[in-house]
Amino acid sequence: MTACLLETRTVSRNFGALAAVSDVEFRLEVGARHALIGPNGAGKTTFINLLTGVLRPTQGRVMLKGRDVTDIPEAQRVKLGIARTFQINRLFRGLTVLENVYIAVSERLGIALDMFRPAGARRDVIEEAMHLIAALKLEDDTGRRVSELPYGRQRLVEIAIALGLKPEVLLLDEPAAGVPSAESHIILDAIGSLSEQIGVLIIEHDMDVVFRFAERITVMVGGRIFAEGTPKEIAADPEIRAVYLGQAYHG
Amino acid sequence: MIVAAIKPTEHLAALAFAGRHRPRVWEPAPWIFAIAFYFAFPNYLGFGTELLVTILFALSLDLVLGYAGIITLGHAAFFGAGAYTVGMLAYHGIWNEPISSLMLAAIVAALVGLGSGLVLLRTQGLTLLMLTLCTMALLEEAANLGHEYTGGFDGLASLPIPPLLGLFEFNPLYPRTQYLYVLIVLFIAFLFVRTLIYSPFGQSLAGIRENTLRMHAVGSPVRARLITCYTISAAIAGIAGGLWAQANAYVNLTTLSLDRAAMVLIALILGGYGRIYGGFVGAVAYMALAHFLAKLYPTGWQLGLGLLLVVIALFARNGILGIGEALLRRIRAKHMPQ
Amino acid sequence: MILGVDVASMILGGVAAGMVLFIVSVGLSVTMGLMGFVNLAHGAFAMLGGYIIVLSMNYWGVHFLPALALGFVVTAAVSFAFERLLYARLYRATELDQVLFTIGLVFMAIASVTLVVGPENQQLVLPAMLQGQVDLGFTQYRTYSIFLIAIGIIIVVGLWLGFERTRIGAQIRATVDNRRMTESLGINVDRLFTITFAFGSGMAALGGGLGAEFLGLDPQYALKYLVYFLIVVAVGGLGRVTGVFYAALLIGVLDFALKKYIPKGGTLFIFGLTILLLLWRPQGLFAGRAT
Ligand SMILES: Nc1ncnc2c1ncn2[C@@H]1O[C@H](COP(=O)(O)OP(=O)(O)O)[C@@H](O)[C@H]1O
Ligand SMILES: [Mg+2]
Repeated sequence: MTACLLETRTVSRNFGALAAVSDVEFRLEVGARHALIGPNGAGKTTFINLLTGVLRPTQGRVMLKGRDVTDIPEAQRVKLGIARTFQINRLFRGLTVLENVYIAVSERLGIALDMFRPAGARRDVIEEAMHLIAALKLEDDTGRRVSELPYGRQRLVEIAIALGLKPEVLLLDEPAAGVPSAESHIILDAIGSLSEQIGVLIIEHDMDVVFRFAERITVMVGGRIFAEGTPKEIAADPEIRAVYLGQAYHG
Repeated sequence: MIVAAIKPTEHLAALAFAGRHRPRVWEPAPWIFAIAFYFAFPNYLGFGTELLVTILFALSLDLVLGYAGIITLGHAAFFGAGAYTVGMLAYHGIWNEPISSLMLAAIVAALVGLGSGLVLLRTQGLTLLMLTLCTMALLEEAANLGHEYTGGFDGLASLPIPPLLGLFEFNPLYPRTQYLYVLIVLFIAFLFVRTLIYSPFGQSLAGIRENTLRMHAVGSPVRARLITCYTISAAIAGIAGGLWAQANAYVNLTTLSLDRAAMVLIALILGGYGRIYGGFVGAVAYMALAHFLAKLYPTGWQLGLGLLLVVIALFARNGILGIGEALLRRIRAKHMPQ
Repeated sequence: MILGVDVASMILGGVAAGMVLFIVSVGLSVTMGLMGFVNLAHGAFAMLGGYIIVLSMNYWGVHFLPALALGFVVTAAVSFAFERLLYARLYRATELDQVLFTIGLVFMAIASVTLVVGPENQQLVLPAMLQGQVDLGFTQYRTYSIFLIAIGIIIVVGLWLGFERTRIGAQIRATVDNRRMTESLGINVDRLFTITFAFGSGMAALGGGLGAEFLGLDPQYALKYLVYFLIVVAVGGLGRVTGVFYAALLIGVLDFALKKYIPKGGTLFIFGLTILLLLWRPQGLFAGRAT
């Protein structure tokens, strides 16, 4: 058995009467390439919010590298090695692409409290940020404000920020949503070149992407885990084909 | 592609970022003006001193409002805390050496900032706005009530401020010492703030302002950052208040009033917040207008000020400097066709 | 026994003041709750209403109740125009812009009233029927205070029913709780806001007129009591009719009692208490309730 990075035990979250996530038992292994799929409103984003500490579960525990992090706030969980992207961009819109990535890298390195030295004097931080920017083919936009970029390019910044945190667990919430298909390979390439040690969980609607990328797939429906298995098992499951895959393929 | 061939840190935008803190050619200009003012208008040095104090106060507000994005209506709390520290220590014969008094003013104001920041900055939006207002009102009431120590409504007048460094008299009629003293303190504080905003810390404040939620998601201890910034800003505001008390040799309730808090806010907004020179431009514009108009046509002044605020909020959110920047950009675009 | 009567009359006075606070503040709470709009000019609308009511009585001899109605209607109409023409542009603006914009309106209101009417206080002369005292059995008390309490109760019951029983009330509640969801249900939140804004300003106008007798009415009104209105809203909770009602009564009674027993430190206490209350419950003391 490989080591477990992230694990949930009967995690649930209700919004009033709505059970957005119920009794989810989930494991993410070291080096995992795991996809989470399910129809809109299935509770996938809510589940990510529970993993990262944006939301507190109504019930259940979240374990990160064997440690119970259920009561640890979001920012501290990041320090423990978990990072994410957002389904809807959450960027520093008034700042440049470089500044966006710089912020992430400087937080990771713990230099963000330094108030007596110019940010520009940290060449190492700039260099690392520039490498990420290059990896996401954003060089031409380095000095532009994020708010001036087309949405698809902004999605790439979203990923660059998360990668700047050098996480051990990376959670990607529909990273390619809103990215023109001509550019979506940039995202896949960037994710594909991640270290083997990182566990990646991706939420994605494009089944081609899912089957190409994932070694394991979890299907979520109505807040519950509906099925889990290898791509082959999932693709072969007639029930899943009926409730989900078929509909995703055709519309 | 050529871009890929050069080292990433030599990318033009990366170079621009790496050098963005370097002084620009025009940056000595405001200081040259300030010194020229000293020689050109010896009869207006009282006004000039008040103006410099306001700039310093606006600079402190800019740190929380323009850089960290904390909206406060109560920044005079720290100005007043500094002013009363200097005033009470001097009046009661405890301590009045100007420079160390100023440091004490900074410390007291920083403590007020830290104490209130620890509790206020847990909240946001309307609640935060209310709490900043209430804190200031609370201090104002306390200063009003603590008559024995603070002089109550009348304040403390004729503060015995000894010569600066034992050499330079504070003469209330010819405030030459005051002017230069305040100018030097302003310059030091400005250098500090300028360094801070271009530092990684300043960058993280900008991050909090732009998207607090994302800052949590990159692992930033947002509240601690904000409290740090709030405390530093309070200390600078306290220095401004301390200078005000020393320069005028009195302190009264107006240092803690909503009027003062609103005035500095308006001045900063007028100049353009989140720009290090916004406070300079705004304070000059505001004080010059106020100096000439407010006394002649007080009601018209208020009407105009209100209209100005409405117009700024609706059409010119970045103030005078913002308008200037937009004009510059337009001119450049014209002269450099793609 | 004397003490008991004393306490009773103090509470009555405080409750009467609290009713006025409620009538003025409730609109502010609902509009802030609906749109998250920081409207510091709410006191200016109360002032506008107060002037219309008092001046129409003093100069045209309009009776008190019709004057109140006039104040309500005119202020609601004026605020409707303001909302459509100006406020609507700032819904998505930052809080800072909203603060600046509304402070600007306050300054303009103060200056305009000073220019047009003059800086002096406008006296509200109550109709004879509301002057003097009534016998409550255990004590004599000012007729007008009792009148205010009665009006306040009628209004809070009316508003509560409106909130609970009408479609628009349900829409307001739903929007305050979850704006996004309401919008996705196809409810026109902008229109809802226009209506509540005009109505809330009209209520403020009523409060301005009703309270003019003891709060006074001069151009500074728009700023002088703003902190109180904001405290009531912050303590009562955004978009909460009953919360604002309780908070207004609490602040009204406290203010009245403190002014009487510790005339000097009273305000200090109120500000201090507000800070503590808001720290304990940042969403307002009564925010947990449904309305
Ligand atoms: N903050 C919230 N408040 C109330 N309901 C929410 C909230 N966030 C999500 N929901 C609801 O929870 C359900 C699951 O949403 P979500 O996790 O976003 O689904 P998915 O990401 O799978 O599309 C949806 O019905 C959604 O409306
Ligand atoms: Mg989702």
